[in-house]
Amino acid sequence: MPHSSEPVRVAACGCLTPFGDAASTHLALMRGECALRPVGVLGRDGGDMVPLALLPGRALDETSPPDWLGAVRRMNDSIPGGDWGSPGRPVFVTSSNFGVGGLYALHRTGEHSFAAWGAPPTCTERLREELGWGPDVSILSHACVSAHLGLLLASRAVSAGLADEALVLSFDFLSPFVAGGFHSLKILNSGFPSPFRIRESGAIGLGDGAAFAVISVERGDWILSGQSLHNEMHHFTSNRSDGSGFARCLEGVMAAARGRRVWFKGHGTGTLEAGRLEVSAAEGALPGAPIVGWKGSLGHTLGSCGLVELAIAVESQRAGRTPGTIGGAGPAMGASVAIEGFGNGAFDGVVCASNAFGGAHAAFLLCHA
Amino acid sequence: MADPLTARLKQLIVETLHLEDIAPASIPDDEPLIGGGLSLDSIDALELVVRLEKEFGIKIESSEEARRALASVAALAAYIRERCDPAKVPF
Repeated sequence: MPHSSEPVRVAACGCLTPFGDAASTHLALMRGECALRPVGVLGRDGGDMVPLALLPGRALDETSPPDWLGAVRRMNDSIPGGDWGSPGRPVFVTSSNFGVGGLYALHRTGEHSFAAWGAPPTCTERLREELGWGPDVSILSHACVSAHLGLLLASRAVSAGLADEALVLSFDFLSPFVAGGFHSLKILNSGFPSPFRIRESGAIGLGDGAAFAVISVERGDWILSGQSLHNEMHHFTSNRSDGSGFARCLEGVMAAARGRRVWFKGHGTGTLEAGRLEVSAAEGALPGAPIVGWKGSLGHTLGSCGLVELAIAVESQRAGRTPGTIGGAGPAMGASVAIEGFGNGAFDGVVCASNAFGGAHAAFLLCHA
Repeated sequence: MADPLTARLKQLIVETLHLEDIAPASIPDDEPLIGGGLSLDSIDALELVVRLEKEFGIKIESSEEARRALASVAALAAYIRERCDPAKVPF
């Protein structure tokens, strides 16, 4: 069975993308802007040009300390409340890659300072010091559903009374090592992503991203329910071809969504088979729900995507407008795929889904309290 | 007599993927490489593509193109002949 949790509230949330914060990102998506640009996959060493969405002024190459640190500090300053990491106020840090690019930079340059950010424990400890957190910090990583895992465990902590409130912070910033890995799999190539579109060849883009959410039992305008995680345990890079993994995960959120009119924020990286399976599962589980995906603009922000896109979904509900599915042309993979943005005033909530290598699937329902 | 490129590809598959129990000549020309009798998967495909690109100086652009190229040994040979510098193809 998929893992799930009791409903909790999102007391605050926000994100950081190349467009800026959640409000700026929502506006850019509504305008149909694309943050992806062709960048040499190996950074200063060149390589094939691939679509990447980097924070303004940031190069793909590693620096020591990381050049994304200032942006994370500024995002941290916008998190309400304090004493994070102290008793009753735990922090859940999630990332797909943490600073793994630093280890590659160490290998390339022999400069040992890169190692300080290279592994999850050292990277998180540096972040803890930089952001002024106490010692109660957990490190979680589960590929591109990392943020969902952090949300679920934070929700369980507050639901069980183990925490008054919990902070989930998720990030993934690109490096030649990470981009090179996706490039070697041929899914990051010279093509720009067209999520949920039928094409001859699939392509993804990658993006810098960071986000946070404060999870509470009592405080907050948004209710997070039906959190669902399911892992097919099928293959390192492949989903079961019948789409059963996608469907099983959505079973976990269907009960929470029953009787509500929802829209569906899909994972939609731009790969063909996964896109087709996701659209089919969403149309089966949530008939009539418009399906959108934003990675055709933002790129795939990897382990942070679940939280980045949660913040944009909240902003969409606040603003009353949902951005459509940006990127490319061609017929949609299903009648429910919404290419254009739409007014969401008549909807009761949004189901947000993410998927990951290893056949890992995650979803939740977000509704106004 | 076996086509030299086809024979080289079979040898390369066995070497790259460490298929120690399989004689290169026993790999059928027309059997699917991925999901066929060899039970190769996407990680095997990745390793093969890296080796093919290096050995034949070709560029496989996308995962779908890789899947088409690796449809069978015969398909792979045709793919390489179309794109490779003839000087790199065994004859």
